[in-house]
Amino acid sequence: MAHKRLKFLGVAAAVLMLAMACGGSNGGGGNTKQYKIGLVTDIGGLNDKSFNHLAFVGLEKAKADFGIKDDVIESHNGSEYVPNLTNFASKSYDLVIGVGFLMQEAVGTVSTQFPNIHFAIIDGAGTDAKGNDLKHTNVQSLYFKEQDAGAMVGVMAGWLEKNGKSKKPQHVIGAVGGVSIPPVNHYIAGYKWAAKMEDPGIQVQVGYSNDFTDPAKCKTVAKAQIDQKSDIEFQVAGGCGLGVLQQAGQSGVYSIGVDADQKDADPSVIASALKKVDVATYTAIQNVVKGQFSSGALTFSIANDGAGYALDNLTLPAELKAELDKVQKQIHDGTLTPPADIPA
Amino acid sequence: MTVLTDILHLLFTANLWQATLAAAVLLLLPALGGVVSERSGVVNIAMEGMMLTGAFFGVVADLAWHNVWAATGVAILAGGMMASIHAVVSIQFRADQIVSGIAINIFAGGLTVFLVNRIYGLQDVGHLGQSDLLPNLNIPGLEQIPFFGKVLFQQNVVVYAALVLLFLTHIVLFRTRLGLRIRAVGEHPQAADTAGINVFMLRYGAVITSGLFSGLAGAFLAIGISNTFVPGMTDGRGYIALAAMIFGKWTPFGAFIACLIFGLGEAIYANNSIIHVSPYLLSMLPYLLTLIVLAGLVGRSTPPAADGLPYVPGSE
Repeated sequence: MAHKRLKFLGVAAAVLMLAMACGGSNGGGGNTKQYKIGLVTDIGGLNDKSFNHLAFVGLEKAKADFGIKDDVIESHNGSEYVPNLTNFASKSYDLVIGVGFLMQEAVGTVSTQFPNIHFAIIDGAGTDAKGNDLKHTNVQSLYFKEQDAGAMVGVMAGWLEKNGKSKKPQHVIGAVGGVSIPPVNHYIAGYKWAAKMEDPGIQVQVGYSNDFTDPAKCKTVAKAQIDQKSDIEFQVAGGCGLGVLQQAGQSGVYSIGVDADQKDADPSVIASALKKVDVATYTAIQNVVKGQFSSGALTFSIANDGAGYALDNLTLPAELKAELDKVQKQIHDGTLTPPADIPA
Repeated sequence: MTVLTDILHLLFTANLWQATLAAAVLLLLPALGGVVSERSGVVNIAMEGMMLTGAFFGVVADLAWHNVWAATGVAILAGGMMASIHAVVSIQFRADQIVSGIAINIFAGGLTVFLVNRIYGLQDVGHLGQSDLLPNLNIPGLEQIPFFGKVLFQQNVVVYAALVLLFLTHIVLFRTRLGLRIRAVGEHPQAADTAGINVFMLRYGAVITSGLFSGLAGAFLAIGISNTFVPGMTDGRGYIALAAMIFGKWTPFGAFIACLIFGLGEAIYANNSIIHVSPYLLSMLPYLLTLIVLAGLVGRSTPPAADGLPYVPGSE
């Protein structure tokens, strides 16, 4: 981190000199305001390979494009959310971004204390202790229709089962969620709904690891599902879910990654459901830099290219590819709407 | 009541017991380490940190060399190094052993995250291929035994190693002169010293052994079960091992039984996609089982008399 600071100092010094030079020539202030953006990760940390990592990617991109000053604090447990957010807010940052549903209440608390500071939160809103949205005018919510991305990979899983193209096709697939919270269940809802649309007789096992970081925990849940005849495993559990991908590889079945493209995590990964947290983070920063901050919700979905899927270590039959394109277009046009709640 | 029949049905599947044993071994190794350390009179709550350190350095070495056996050696040594810090602080400098243990756990968490960022940046630590992981080993012949073959003889190499260490620890502690001395040092170091036993040496050896065992557990976790390092991946297992040690009354087999109960809870929990009850409720199972067994079956459990007391030569 030290060299980053140095780099920033260098940039700051250059900016300062430039500003001074401007001041000397025309006596007015140059409008080279450098925006300060603070990012607070949730307990997954920056190395989670999905969610927090993508937020950081968006931040870095914004830094390259807008020359902002960026700062990141990782939270190691839930009690650090409020102090970490407060740290940025009290230093008058132009935007404080909280990454993740788990930070809803903390964002609610801190945004009440600092009504003049702009906040953005991914996957949530600023809420009170009971989870009610406080609807503060200084908070922007960045939501995703994870069900859109889940539906795309669900189409793939269902089609492969129906046509006997999976590894051990017995019309059983599985999903391993981290914790039963809305962003996780949206994914699973889309997945199950679309798989049933493709293969009405399919059985979709849904399990939870109660964890987002420990691959061993997800691995055991995935193994139990594979023992029960599942041969396509969808992970929705961040760093923990890497264990799902690995177990699928060991058991010789297919797996599906989540949030980011996880093709490299294991050869068994045939696709990834994408949630473009980087796009959302970038958009939120861009809005602030352009003076277009607005409170309320921004939703990212297939319709605005904020969600989607990546094809990974499997060459798909042309028929399946056509089916995916068809469904994606229908979701894009609004003729198909994947549900947000897991269907029975 | 379908929940109970679901669970009952599960109890008759070999898959469940296979998973139980694997989960239990992950706790057994640090628990055995704890038994050895505390039998010699040094309280050790640092298994969590030693395991995490072992996991991290195991992954680093494996990624660099693509040799899982060398990497496992590195993991074991890394655990041992962490333990030697605890040994120096608590034996040499007679610091409070609980404080030292907590410090090591916190230090290990911070150190590993720091090094991940230093070495790998904010990107992936990297994933190991199947050939770079501690392999599963099916024992020819024995694996064919119905039910028990799958449970006992289709496991990871570390599971077999841990079972051997279990017997070995028991034999050394209770059937050899060395074990007698370790226990003497843990019960009454003054008397042991008078009898010409080197208290410091034995305690150093015992504490470092606990680190080696925990390091092996870290390797099993990171380059056996998983294939990468994730910050904080031990997830409290070192503490559960500590509970297992107390639960087992500071004996290897007692601790093993405790680990099996925790492991069974974890294995049942893993089946939450087919047991239709809240996953939150199911995840309480291992701890609930512990409370019940601890209160009802185990009764009072007494640590070695000199556990946690630094030895000052010549003192009474």
